[in-house]
Amino acid sequence: MNMKVPLAAIVPVCLTLCGAQGGLPARAADSPETAMSAPPPTGFVTRAEFDELRAEVDATKATARATLPGTSEFNLAGYGSAGLVYQENEGDRLFYATFNPLFLWKLSDRLLFEGELEFELEGDETDTALEQAHLAYLLDDYVTADAGKFLNPMDAFVERFHMAWVNHLPDKPLAVYDGLLPESIVGAQLRGGVPVGPAQVTYAVFAGNAPALVTDTNADPGTLSFDNFSNPDGHFVYGGHIGFLPVPALEVGYGLMAGNVAPSGGDDVSALMQSVDFNGVLDSTVLSGMVRLNAQWVWSRLGTFNYGVDAFDNNRDGGYAQIAYRPTKWGIPALGKFEPVYRYDVLEQKDTPTGTNERRNTVGLNYWLTAMTVVKAAYQLDSTDGGVDHNAVLVQFATGF
Amino acid sequence: MQIKNVLIQSSLAAVVVALVGVGYASMAGTPGTADANPDGEKIWAQTCNRCHNVRSPNTYTDAQWDVALMHMRVRANLTAEQYRLILDYLKTHN
Repeated sequence: MNMKVPLAAIVPVCLTLCGAQGGLPARAADSPETAMSAPPPTGFVTRAEFDELRAEVDATKATARATLPGTSEFNLAGYGSAGLVYQENEGDRLFYATFNPLFLWKLSDRLLFEGELEFELEGDETDTALEQAHLAYLLDDYVTADAGKFLNPMDAFVERFHMAWVNHLPDKPLAVYDGLLPESIVGAQLRGGVPVGPAQVTYAVFAGNAPALVTDTNADPGTLSFDNFSNPDGHFVYGGHIGFLPVPALEVGYGLMAGNVAPSGGDDVSALMQSVDFNGVLDSTVLSGMVRLNAQWVWSRLGTFNYGVDAFDNNRDGGYAQIAYRPTKWGIPALGKFEPVYRYDVLEQKDTPTGTNERRNTVGLNYWLTAMTVVKAAYQLDSTDGGVDHNAVLVQFATGF
Repeated sequence: MQIKNVLIQSSLAAVVVALVGVGYASMAGTPGTADANPDGEKIWAQTCNRCHNVRSPNTYTDAQWDVALMHMRVRANLTAEQYRLILDYLKTHN
Protein backbone atom coordinates (compact mmCIF):
# COMPACT_ATOMS: atom_id res chain seq x y z
CA MET A 1 0.00 0.00 0.00
CA ASN A 2 1.52 3.30 -1.03
CA MET A 3 0.35 5.43 1.92
CA LYS A 4 1.03 9.18 1.75
CA VAL A 5 1.04 11.30 4.86
CA PRO A 6 -0.33 14.79 4.33
CA LEU A 7 2.31 17.52 4.49
CA ALA A 8 0.33 19.42 7.09
CA ALA A 9 0.69 16.49 9.45
CA ILE A 10 4.42 16.13 8.94
CA VAL A 11 5.43 19.76 9.49
CA PRO A 12 4.35 19.88 13.16
CA VAL A 13 6.14 16.60 13.80
CA CYS A 14 9.33 17.95 12.29
CA LEU A 15 9.02 21.17 14.26
CA THR A 16 8.50 19.17 17.44
CA LEU A 17 11.60 17.14 16.69
CA CYS A 18 13.55 20.35 16.17
CA GLY A 19 12.29 21.61 19.52
CA ALA A 20 13.20 18.33 21.23
CA GLN A 21 16.74 18.80 20.04
CA GLY A 22 17.07 21.92 22.14
CA GLY A 23 15.44 24.58 20.04
CA LEU A 24 16.80 25.62 16.70
CA PRO A 25 19.94 23.68 15.76
CA ALA A 26 22.92 25.41 14.22
CA ARG A 27 22.99 25.72 10.46
CA ALA A 28 25.90 23.31 10.12
CA ALA A 29 23.82 20.51 11.61
CA ASP A 30 20.83 21.20 9.44
CA SER A 31 21.87 19.46 6.24
CA PRO A 32 19.57 16.65 5.21
CA GLU A 33 22.44 14.20 5.67
CA THR A 34 22.96 14.98 9.36
CA ALA A 35 19.86 16.61 10.82
CA MET A 36 17.31 14.41 9.11
CA SER A 37 17.82 10.94 7.78
CA ALA A 38 16.76 10.03 4.27
CA PRO A 39 13.20 8.92 3.72
CA PRO A 40 12.52 5.39 4.88
CA PRO A 41 12.92 2.81 2.12
CA THR A 42 9.30 1.77 2.32
CA GLY A 43 8.56 5.47 2.05
CA PHE A 44 5.58 7.40 3.19
CA VAL A 45 6.59 10.39 1.09
CA THR A 46 8.28 10.81 -2.23
CA ARG A 47 11.68 12.44 -2.59
CA ALA A 48 10.11 15.51 -4.08
CA GLU A 49 7.72 15.80 -1.16
CA PHE A 50 10.59 15.33 1.27
CA ASP A 51 12.57 18.13 -0.38
CA GLU A 52 9.53 20.36 -0.28
CA LEU A 53 9.10 19.59 3.40
CA ARG A 54 12.78 20.27 4.04
CA ALA A 55 12.43 23.67 2.40
CA GLU A 56 9.41 24.48 4.48
CA VAL A 57 11.17 23.52 7.70
CA ASP A 58 14.16 25.68 6.79
CA ALA A 59 11.89 28.60 6.03
CA THR A 60 10.04 28.13 9.31
CA LYS A 61 13.30 28.08 11.23
CA ALA A 62 14.41 31.28 9.56
CA THR A 63 11.12 32.93 10.46
CA ALA A 64 11.41 31.77 14.06
CA ARG A 65 14.98 33.09 14.34
CA ALA A 66 13.85 36.47 13.06
CA THR A 67 11.38 36.79 15.93
CA LEU A 68 13.79 35.89 18.71
CA PRO A 69 14.68 38.90 20.89
CA GLY A 70 18.22 40.07 21.14
CA THR A 71 19.78 41.30 24.35
CA SER A 72 17.92 44.61 23.91
CA GLU A 73 14.16 44.10 24.10
CA PHE A 74 11.68 46.61 22.75
CA ASN A 75 7.98 47.21 23.25
CA LEU A 76 5.77 49.85 21.71
CA ALA A 77 2.94 50.85 24.04
CA GLY A 78 0.92 54.02 24.47
CA TYR A 79 -2.56 55.31 23.83
CA GLY A 80 -4.73 57.33 21.52
CA SER A 81 -7.99 59.21 21.76
CA ALA A 82 -10.58 61.02 19.73
CA GLY A 83 -13.33 63.18 21.12
CA LEU A 84 -15.68 66.10 21.16
CA VAL A 85 -15.85 69.12 23.47
CA TYR A 86 -18.95 71.30 23.30
CA GLN A 87 -18.91 74.13 25.84
CA GLU A 88 -21.70 76.63 26.37
CA ASN A 89 -21.20 80.39 26.43
CA GLU A 90 -18.81 80.54 23.50
CA GLY A 91 -16.34 78.14 25.00
CA ASP A 92 -14.46 75.45 23.15
CA ARG A 93 -16.42 73.57 20.50
CA LEU A 94 -14.30 71.08 18.65
CA PHE A 95 -13.51 67.55 17.68
CA TYR A 96 -9.99 66.45 18.56
CA ALA A 97 -7.60 63.53 18.28
CA THR A 98 -4.41 62.62 20.14
CA PHE A 99 -1.75 59.94 19.79
CA ASN A 100 0.82 59.11 22.47
CA PRO A 101 3.27 56.37 21.49
CA LEU A 102 5.42 55.10 24.36
CA PHE A 103 8.70 53.50 23.32
CA LEU A 104 10.18 51.09 25.86
CA TRP A 105 13.62 49.54 25.58
CA LYS A 106 14.83 47.01 28.13
CA LEU A 107 18.55 47.34 27.59
CA SER A 108 19.50 44.82 30.29
CA ASP A 109 17.95 43.30 33.39
CA ARG A 110 18.66 46.59 35.17
CA LEU A 111 18.39 49.24 32.45
CA LEU A 112 15.19 50.60 30.93
CA PHE A 113 14.76 53.53 28.58
CA GLU A 114 11.35 55.14 28.13
CA GLY A 115 10.47 57.71 25.52
CA GLU A 116 6.97 59.10 24.97
CA LEU A 117 5.83 61.45 22.26
CA GLU A 118 2.54 63.30 22.13
CA PHE A 119 0.86 64.31 18.91
CA GLU A 120 -2.09 66.68 19.20
CA LEU A 121 -4.03 68.66 16.66
CA GLU A 122 -3.52 72.33 17.48
CA GLY A 123 -5.08 74.96 15.24
CA ASP A 124 -4.14 74.07 11.69
CA GLU A 125 -1.02 72.16 12.76
CA THR A 126 -0.04 69.00 14.57
CA ASP A 127 1.57 69.82 17.89
CA THR A 128 4.38 67.47 18.89
CA ALA A 129 5.81 67.21 22.38
CA LEU A 130 8.37 65.06 24.13
CA GLU A 131 6.38 63.86 27.12
CA GLN A 132 9.06 61.63 28.59
CA ALA A 133 12.63 60.59 27.83
CA HIS A 134 14.43 58.98 30.71
CA LEU A 135 16.75 56.14 31.60
CA ALA A 136 16.07 54.03 34.69
CA TYR A 137 18.62 51.82 36.41
CA LEU A 138 17.53 49.28 39.02
CA LEU A 139 20.12 49.70 41.78
CA ASP A 140 18.69 46.91 43.93
CA ASP A 141 15.38 45.33 44.89
CA TYR A 142 14.06 48.54 46.42
CA VAL A 143 15.84 51.47 44.73
CA THR A 144 15.72 52.68 41.13
CA ALA A 145 17.79 55.60 39.85
CA ASP A 146 16.20 57.51 36.99
CA ALA A 147 17.26 60.56 34.99
CA GLY A 148 15.88 62.57 32.10
CA LYS A 149 12.42 64.00 31.52
CA PHE A 150 9.99 62.00 33.60
CA LEU A 151 6.41 62.40 34.82
CA ASN A 152 6.16 64.46 38.00
CA PRO A 153 6.43 61.91 40.84
CA MET A 154 4.69 64.15 43.40
CA ASP A 155 1.52 64.45 41.29
CA ALA A 156 -0.35 61.15 41.55
CA PHE A 157 -2.87 62.00 38.82
CA VAL A 158 -0.17 62.90 36.34
CA GLU A 159 1.98 59.88 37.04
CA ARG A 160 -0.73 57.24 37.26
CA PHE A 161 -4.06 58.41 35.85
CA HIS A 162 -3.77 61.03 33.12
CA MET A 163 -3.53 58.54 30.22
CA ALA A 164 -6.73 58.66 28.18
CA TRP A 165 -7.54 54.95 28.64
CA VAL A 166 -6.83 55.14 32.40
CA ASN A 167 -8.61 58.44 33.11
CA HIS A 168 -12.30 57.67 33.64
CA LEU A 169 -13.68 60.94 32.30
CA PRO A 170 -13.10 62.60 28.92
CA ASP A 171 -11.26 65.57 30.41
CA LYS A 172 -8.76 65.99 33.22
CA PRO A 173 -9.35 67.47 36.67
CA LEU A 174 -8.57 71.08 37.50
CA ALA A 175 -5.46 71.96 39.48
CA VAL A 176 -3.72 68.57 39.28
CA TYR A 177 -3.24 68.57 35.50
CA ASP A 178 -2.22 71.62 33.51
CA GLY A 179 -2.85 73.58 36.70
CA LEU A 180 -0.81 74.05 39.83
CA LEU A 181 1.82 71.35 39.36
CA PRO A 182 4.24 70.51 36.56
CA GLU A 183 3.40 67.45 34.49
CA SER A 184 7.04 66.49 34.09
CA ILE A 185 10.38 67.11 35.71
CA VAL A 186 13.67 67.41 33.86
CA GLY A 187 16.15 66.09 36.38
CA ALA A 188 16.93 62.95 38.33
CA GLN A 189 15.11 60.83 40.86
CA LEU A 190 15.45 57.86 43.18
CA ARG A 191 12.32 55.77 43.70
CA GLY A 192 11.04 52.41 44.79
CA GLY A 193 8.80 50.41 47.05
CA VAL A 194 9.55 48.76 50.39
CA PRO A 195 7.37 46.15 52.14
CA VAL A 196 6.52 47.01 55.73
CA GLY A 197 4.91 43.95 57.28
CA PRO A 198 1.73 43.23 55.32
CA ALA A 199 1.72 46.80 53.99
CA GLN A 200 3.99 48.65 51.59
CA VAL A 201 5.59 52.07 51.42
CA THR A 202 6.47 53.70 48.11
CA TYR A 203 8.76 56.68 47.71
CA ALA A 204 10.33 59.03 45.18
CA VAL A 205 12.79 61.89 45.71
CA PHE A 206 13.87 64.14 42.89
CA ALA A 207 15.73 67.28 41.82
CA GLY A 208 15.11 69.13 38.59
CA ASN A 209 14.80 72.41 36.74
CA ALA A 210 12.62 74.89 38.60
CA PRO A 211 9.44 76.30 37.03
CA ALA A 212 9.68 79.91 35.89
CA LEU A 213 7.63 82.66 37.55
CA VAL A 214 5.40 84.50 35.10
CA THR A 215 5.99 88.22 35.70
CA ASP A 216 4.39 89.68 32.55
CA THR A 217 1.31 91.60 33.70
CA ASN A 218 -0.40 90.69 30.40
CA ALA A 219 0.11 86.96 30.90
CA ASP A 220 -1.44 85.94 34.22
CA PRO A 221 1.32 87.22 36.55
CA GLY A 222 2.13 85.11 39.56
CA THR A 223 1.49 81.80 37.86
CA LEU A 224 4.27 79.36 37.02
CA SER A 225 5.46 78.29 33.61
CA PHE A 226 6.34 74.61 33.79
CA ASP A 227 7.86 74.44 30.31
CA ASN A 228 11.15 75.78 31.60
CA PHE A 229 13.39 73.33 29.80
CA SER A 230 16.32 75.66 29.19
CA ASN A 231 16.22 76.89 32.81
CA PRO A 232 17.69 80.34 32.04
CA ASP A 233 17.40 81.42 35.67
CA GLY A 234 19.46 78.48 36.87
CA HIS A 235 17.14 77.49 39.71
CA PHE A 236 16.33 73.96 40.83
CA VAL A 237 13.42 72.39 42.67
CA TYR A 238 13.59 69.49 45.07
CA GLY A 239 10.77 67.25 46.08
CA GLY A 240 9.32 63.84 46.47
CA HIS A 241 6.35 61.66 47.18
CA ILE A 242 5.68 59.05 49.80
CA GLY A 243 2.82 56.57 49.58
CA PHE A 244 1.40 54.10 52.07
CA LEU A 245 -0.47 50.99 50.92
CA PRO A 246 -2.22 49.22 53.80
CA VAL A 247 -3.52 46.77 51.17
CA PRO A 248 -2.32 46.44 47.57
CA ALA A 249 -5.50 48.02 46.20
CA LEU A 250 -5.25 51.27 48.17
CA GLU A 251 -2.59 53.99 48.28
CA VAL A 252 -2.57 57.17 50.33
CA GLY A 253 0.18 59.62 49.45
CA TYR A 254 1.81 62.95 50.16
CA GLY A 255 3.94 64.90 47.71
CA LEU A 256 6.03 68.03 48.05
CA MET A 257 8.10 70.24 45.78
CA ALA A 258 10.02 73.38 46.75
CA GLY A 259 12.54 75.77 45.26
CA ASN A 260 13.39 79.27 44.11
CA VAL A 261 11.46 80.44 41.03
CA ALA A 262 12.66 84.06 40.82
CA PRO A 263 13.65 85.60 37.49
CA SER A 264 17.37 86.10 36.86
CA GLY A 265 18.99 88.71 39.05
CA GLY A 266 15.96 89.28 41.26
CA ASP A 267 15.39 88.53 44.92
CA ASP A 268 14.50 84.96 45.75
CA VAL A 269 10.87 83.93 45.29
CA SER A 270 10.11 80.73 47.11
CA ALA A 271 7.68 78.18 45.76
CA LEU A 272 6.16 75.43 47.86
CA MET A 273 3.73 72.97 46.32
CA GLN A 274 2.13 70.16 48.30
CA SER A 275 -0.27 67.42 47.38
CA VAL A 276 -2.21 64.71 49.18
CA ASP A 277 -3.74 61.85 47.23
CA PHE A 278 -5.99 58.87 47.84
CA ASN A 279 -6.41 56.20 45.20
CA GLY A 280 -8.01 52.82 45.56
CA VAL A 281 -10.19 50.19 43.98
CA LEU A 282 -12.71 47.91 45.65
CA ASP A 283 -13.57 44.75 43.76
CA SER A 284 -16.20 43.65 46.18
CA THR A 285 -18.99 41.10 46.26
CA VAL A 286 -20.69 43.20 48.93
CA LEU A 287 -20.89 46.06 46.45
CA SER A 288 -21.62 43.70 43.52
CA GLY A 289 -18.91 45.27 41.43
CA MET A 290 -15.84 47.41 41.28
CA VAL A 291 -15.63 50.86 42.80
CA ARG A 292 -12.77 53.21 41.99
CA LEU A 293 -12.01 56.10 44.29
CA ASN A 294 -9.58 58.84 43.39
CA ALA A 295 -8.96 62.10 45.19
CA GLN A 296 -6.16 64.64 45.29
CA TRP A 297 -5.73 68.12 46.73
CA VAL A 298 -2.95 70.56 45.91
CA TRP A 299 -1.65 73.65 47.68
CA SER A 300 0.56 76.12 45.85
CA ARG A 301 2.30 78.86 47.85
CA LEU A 302 4.58 81.40 46.19
CA GLY A 303 6.59 84.16 47.86
CA THR A 304 6.13 87.85 47.16
CA PHE A 305 7.34 89.61 44.04
CA ASN A 306 6.77 93.12 42.69
CA TYR A 307 4.82 92.48 39.50
CA GLY A 308 3.83 96.11 39.09
CA VAL A 309 0.25 95.39 40.15
CA ASP A 310 -1.41 95.54 43.56
CA ALA A 311 0.28 93.20 46.02
CA PHE A 312 -1.46 89.85 46.55
CA ASP A 313 -0.99 86.59 48.42
CA ASN A 314 -0.03 84.14 45.73
CA ASN A 315 -1.89 81.16 47.17
CA ARG A 316 -3.74 78.78 44.86
CA ASP A 317 -5.47 75.55 45.84
CA GLY A 318 -7.40 72.91 44.03
CA GLY A 319 -8.10 69.27 43.50
CA TYR A 320 -10.69 66.64 42.75
CA ALA A 321 -12.61 63.69 44.10
CA GLN A 322 -13.94 61.02 41.77
CA ILE A 323 -15.91 57.83 42.12
CA ALA A 324 -16.60 55.25 39.40
CA TYR A 325 -18.58 52.04 39.67
CA ARG A 326 -18.73 48.99 37.39
CA PRO A 327 -21.51 46.50 38.19
CA THR A 328 -19.41 43.47 37.32
CA LYS A 329 -20.95 41.06 39.84
CA TRP A 330 -24.64 41.37 39.01
CA GLY A 331 -24.57 38.24 36.87
CA ILE A 332 -25.30 40.27 33.72
CA PRO A 333 -22.10 40.47 31.64
CA ALA A 334 -23.42 43.26 29.41
CA LEU A 335 -24.16 45.41 32.46
CA GLY A 336 -20.58 45.06 33.67
CA LYS A 337 -19.32 46.93 30.61
CA PHE A 338 -20.99 50.14 31.77
CA GLU A 339 -19.44 52.46 34.30
CA PRO A 340 -21.09 55.56 35.74
CA VAL A 341 -18.61 58.17 36.98
CA TYR A 342 -18.89 61.30 39.09
CA ARG A 343 -16.18 63.89 39.68
CA TYR A 344 -16.06 67.12 41.64
CA ASP A 345 -13.07 69.36 40.93
CA VAL A 346 -12.00 72.80 42.09
CA LEU A 347 -9.42 75.47 41.34
CA GLU A 348 -9.31 78.40 43.76
CA GLN A 349 -7.30 81.45 42.73
CA LYS A 350 -9.78 84.28 43.31
CA ASP A 351 -7.35 86.37 45.36
CA THR A 352 -4.70 86.40 42.66
CA PRO A 353 -4.61 88.40 39.41
CA THR A 354 -6.27 85.39 37.75
CA GLY A 355 -9.31 86.32 39.83
CA THR A 356 -11.44 83.19 39.57
CA ASN A 357 -12.65 80.28 41.66
CA GLU A 358 -13.87 77.45 39.47
CA ARG A 359 -15.93 74.47 40.60
CA ARG A 360 -17.20 71.69 38.34
CA ASN A 361 -19.53 68.75 38.79
CA THR A 362 -19.13 66.15 36.05
CA VAL A 363 -21.33 63.11 35.53
CA GLY A 364 -20.27 60.53 32.99
CA LEU A 365 -21.10 57.12 31.63
CA ASN A 366 -18.44 54.84 30.17
CA TYR A 367 -18.80 51.75 28.03
CA TRP A 368 -15.79 49.45 28.06
CA LEU A 369 -15.33 47.67 24.73
CA THR A 370 -12.24 45.89 26.08
CA ALA A 371 -10.13 46.27 29.20
CA MET A 372 -8.22 49.06 27.47
CA THR A 373 -10.73 50.59 25.09
CA VAL A 374 -13.54 52.79 26.30
CA VAL A 375 -16.20 55.15 25.04
CA LYS A 376 -16.91 57.97 27.49
CA ALA A 377 -19.72 60.50 27.55
CA ALA A 378 -20.14 63.18 30.20
CA TYR A 379 -21.95 66.36 31.10
CA GLN A 380 -20.14 69.02 33.06
CA LEU A 381 -21.72 71.72 35.21
CA ASP A 382 -19.27 74.58 35.57
CA SER A 383 -19.42 77.39 38.11
CA THR A 384 -16.74 80.05 37.75
CA ASP A 385 -16.79 82.77 40.36
CA GLY A 386 -15.21 85.78 38.67
CA GLY A 387 -15.53 84.35 35.17
CA VAL A 388 -17.85 82.75 32.65
CA ASP A 389 -19.49 79.38 33.32
CA HIS A 390 -18.75 76.84 30.62
CA ASN A 391 -21.13 73.92 31.03
CA ALA A 392 -20.05 71.27 28.59
CA VAL A 393 -20.84 68.04 26.80
CA LEU A 394 -17.79 65.82 26.54
CA VAL A 395 -17.37 62.65 24.48
CA GLN A 396 -14.22 60.61 24.07
CA PHE A 397 -13.12 57.34 22.51
CA ALA A 398 -9.87 56.15 24.05
CA THR A 399 -7.68 53.11 23.72
CA GLY A 400 -4.43 51.89 25.21
CA PHE A 401 -2.08 49.49 23.49
CA MET B 1 -23.99 79.17 47.52
CA GLN B 2 -21.15 78.59 49.99
CA ILE B 3 -23.39 76.52 52.28
CA LYS B 4 -24.65 74.53 49.31
CA ASN B 5 -21.11 73.71 48.26
CA VAL B 6 -20.16 72.69 51.79
CA LEU B 7 -23.22 70.43 51.96
CA ILE B 8 -22.42 68.83 48.62
CA GLN B 9 -18.82 68.25 49.60
CA SER B 10 -19.77 66.89 53.03
CA SER B 11 -22.31 64.52 51.50
CA LEU B 12 -19.78 63.26 48.97
CA ALA B 13 -17.18 62.79 51.65
CA ALA B 14 -19.67 60.81 53.74
CA VAL B 15 -20.54 58.57 50.80
CA VAL B 16 -16.89 57.98 50.03
CA VAL B 17 -16.01 57.17 53.62
CA ALA B 18 -18.96 54.78 53.87
CA LEU B 19 -18.00 53.02 50.64
CA VAL B 20 -14.39 52.75 51.68
CA GLY B 21 -15.39 51.28 55.01
CA VAL B 22 -17.80 48.76 53.56
CA GLY B 23 -15.58 47.88 50.66
CA TYR B 24 -12.32 47.35 52.45
CA ALA B 25 -14.10 45.56 55.27
CA SER B 26 -15.31 43.10 52.65
CA MET B 27 -11.81 42.82 51.21
CA ALA B 28 -10.32 42.06 54.59
CA GLY B 29 -11.58 38.52 54.31
CA THR B 30 -10.17 37.98 50.84
CA PRO B 31 -7.36 35.43 50.96
CA GLY B 32 -4.03 36.97 50.19
CA THR B 33 -5.19 40.54 50.46
CA ALA B 34 -2.97 41.20 53.43
CA ASP B 35 -0.05 39.54 51.66
CA ALA B 36 -0.44 36.45 53.87
CA ASN B 37 0.02 34.15 50.93
CA PRO B 38 1.07 36.29 48.04
CA ASP B 39 1.26 34.91 44.55
CA GLY B 40 1.54 36.43 41.14
CA GLU B 41 -2.12 36.33 40.22
CA LYS B 42 -3.31 38.07 43.36
CA ILE B 43 -0.60 40.71 43.24
CA TRP B 44 -1.22 41.23 39.53
CA ALA B 45 -4.97 41.58 40.04
CA GLN B 46 -4.75 43.94 42.99
CA THR B 47 -1.68 46.00 42.27
CA CYS B 48 -2.27 46.64 38.58
CA ASN B 49 -6.00 47.12 39.04
CA ARG B 50 -5.38 49.89 41.57
CA CYS B 51 -4.71 52.28 38.69
CA HIS B 52 -6.12 50.67 35.55
CA ASN B 53 -8.01 47.70 34.17
CA VAL B 54 -5.73 44.70 33.94
CA ARG B 55 -4.62 43.46 30.53
CA SER B 56 -5.15 39.81 29.78
CA PRO B 57 -1.87 37.86 30.06
CA ASN B 58 -2.20 36.85 26.42
CA THR B 59 -2.01 40.49 25.33
CA TYR B 60 1.77 40.17 25.09
CA THR B 61 4.43 37.58 24.38
CA ASP B 62 6.98 36.67 27.05
CA ALA B 63 9.48 39.10 25.55
CA GLN B 64 6.93 41.92 25.49
CA TRP B 65 5.92 41.29 29.10
CA ASP B 66 9.61 41.46 30.07
CA VAL B 67 9.70 45.05 28.84
CA ALA B 68 6.21 46.15 29.84
CA LEU B 69 6.54 44.88 33.38
CA MET B 70 9.96 46.44 33.88
CA HIS B 71 8.29 49.71 32.86
CA MET B 72 5.56 49.12 35.46
CA ARG B 73 8.10 48.14 38.10
CA VAL B 74 9.60 51.62 37.79
CA ARG B 75 6.32 53.50 37.36
CA ALA B 76 4.35 51.76 40.11
CA ASN B 77 7.27 51.33 42.53
CA LEU B 78 6.95 47.55 42.57
CA THR B 79 9.43 45.65 44.69
CA ALA B 80 11.63 43.09 42.97
CA GLU B 81 9.61 40.28 44.57
CA GLN B 82 6.30 41.67 43.30
CA TYR B 83 7.84 42.15 39.86
CA ARG B 84 9.08 38.55 39.71
CA LEU B 85 5.79 37.04 40.92
CA ILE B 86 3.66 39.05 38.49
CA LEU B 87 6.00 38.40 35.57
CA ASP B 88 6.03 34.68 36.30
CA TYR B 89 2.23 34.62 36.42
CA LEU B 90 1.87 36.53 33.15
CA LYS B 91 4.41 34.36 31.32
CA THR B 92 2.76 31.15 32.41
CA HIS B 93 -0.74 32.32 31.46
CA ASN B 94 -0.21 34.04 28.12
